[in-house]
Amino acid sequence: MASPQDPRPRVSALRDLPQSIEPARDLWPLIEARLKETAATPAARPPGRRVPLSWLAAAAMVAMLAVGMWIGRTLLPVTVPGGGAALHVSNGTPSLDPATVLDASYVSDPRYERQRAALLSSLQARLATMSPETRDKVLASLATIKKAKEDLEQALGKDPGNALLQELLVNTYQDEMRVLTDVREASDPGRGI
Amino acid sequence: MRSVYRVSTALIVLLSSGVAAAATDKSFERTVAAQPKGVVDISNVSGSIEVSGWDRQEVAVRAELDEDVERVDVTSAGDHTIIKVVLPQHGSRHGDARLHVQIPKGSELDVSAVSADLTATGVLGVQHLSTVSGDLSSELAGADVEAKSVSGDIKLKGHGEPARLRITSVSGDVHLEHGAGDLETSSVSGSLVISLDTAHSVRVRSTSGDLRFEGRLARDATFEVTSVSGDLNVRAPAAGGFVYEITTFSGDISNCFGAKAQRESEYGPGSKLSGSRGDGAGHVRLKTMSGDISLCDRD
Repeated sequence: MASPQDPRPRVSALRDLPQSIEPARDLWPLIEARLKETAATPAARPPGRRVPLSWLAAAAMVAMLAVGMWIGRTLLPVTVPGGGAALHVSNGTPSLDPATVLDASYVSDPRYERQRAALLSSLQARLATMSPETRDKVLASLATIKKAKEDLEQALGKDPGNALLQELLVNTYQDEMRVLTDVREASDPGRGI
Repeated sequence: MRSVYRVSTALIVLLSSGVAAAATDKSFERTVAAQPKGVVDISNVSGSIEVSGWDRQEVAVRAELDEDVERVDVTSAGDHTIIKVVLPQHGSRHGDARLHVQIPKGSELDVSAVSADLTATGVLGVQHLSTVSGDLSSELAGADVEAKSVSGDIKLKGHGEPARLRITSVSGDVHLEHGAGDLETSSVSGSLVISLDTAHSVRVRSTSGDLRFEGRLARDATFEVTSVSGDLNVRAPAAGGFVYEITTFSGDISNCFGAKAQRESEYGPGSKLSGSRGDGAGHVRLKTMSGDISLCDRD
């Protein structure tokens, strides 16, 4: 954790962390020497306790997977159906952006799915109450949103961990709900938008 | 003989103008007492709404109504005045009413329209304005304003007095001039042309609409814009400078201070530009999927 005296820069997001860290000195000669030393004294290890290399590799895999899962659950964006991202590490303490957590929870929330389905099913009736010009513009906007969602999902297919794309996808889901709600309220007699 | 001609001509003109008026419009006028800082609620489906603030403690309504319009209700209770254009329950739902409403200038104004165009001037109180396809135009005066439209254009003009502004549009264009304070705006496909004299916080979201922003950022201001495919053009000098973070998946990044964007990943698309200008007091975050981004901090 960075303190006021700590010269390290404050990390406020995962992307602020360096992609790789060079060690202060070359560690390989020491590792190599230790490996040679171990190979030269095989009798030091009891014969029945020898661990095959394949098991070591598997253990390493599991460890890496665990670290990956820990990173995924605590640091990387929360992946939800249709997007959702939270990406904050403040003063070394991982935390989730409240707004993004809300996004994530509502996108996966069955209430959201029900609400969206209800809005879509009443859309035709609502559009029928509008002038042709307004109806065309609303349909064009919904088509724009649909295209944006498709483009974002396609891009996420190539880069699933991209926090920017996940955030934009959640925004687009929210915009779709806003438009559907505005259309419903706009065509609700006596209520306006 | 000449005088007979004159009289008959005058009669014909008078008769014809009266017949013409009866065939097109009904007129309506009513004035009620109102509180200086009361709430005025106006709704009209079609036609136009012109609202202006004045120094009197009265609400005055003048209207020209199409034959299809049933009546205009003006009711007043406590500090609340309601003006409602009523259309027949069964029959046409598109009768035009052209409303001219004068309200105490300190009033809170709440207007709801469908295809009616709306204009408000000289109102100093909070404004909640909404239209579906009608265009919306209002003068800002330091109080909070919420403006919503589906396909109508929104045009707001202020005098640099800070306020909280919330503007949403689906396909209509948004044009804000000489605003100040806190702005939250979103649009799906409409373009956003924004100028703020001083901005404390700005939050913009668009799907495909382009943004052109010009404005001075106050010290510690936050400025966040996200768009899927809209281009972002931001010119924002800041008294205390700002920390900036610009990311795009497939768009281009440019700036006027010579910083060079970096690729996000060695293996995939995406570029990023981040850094600090001046004291780095404010925060600027611009994000798009495919839209181009341009940032400048010069006047």
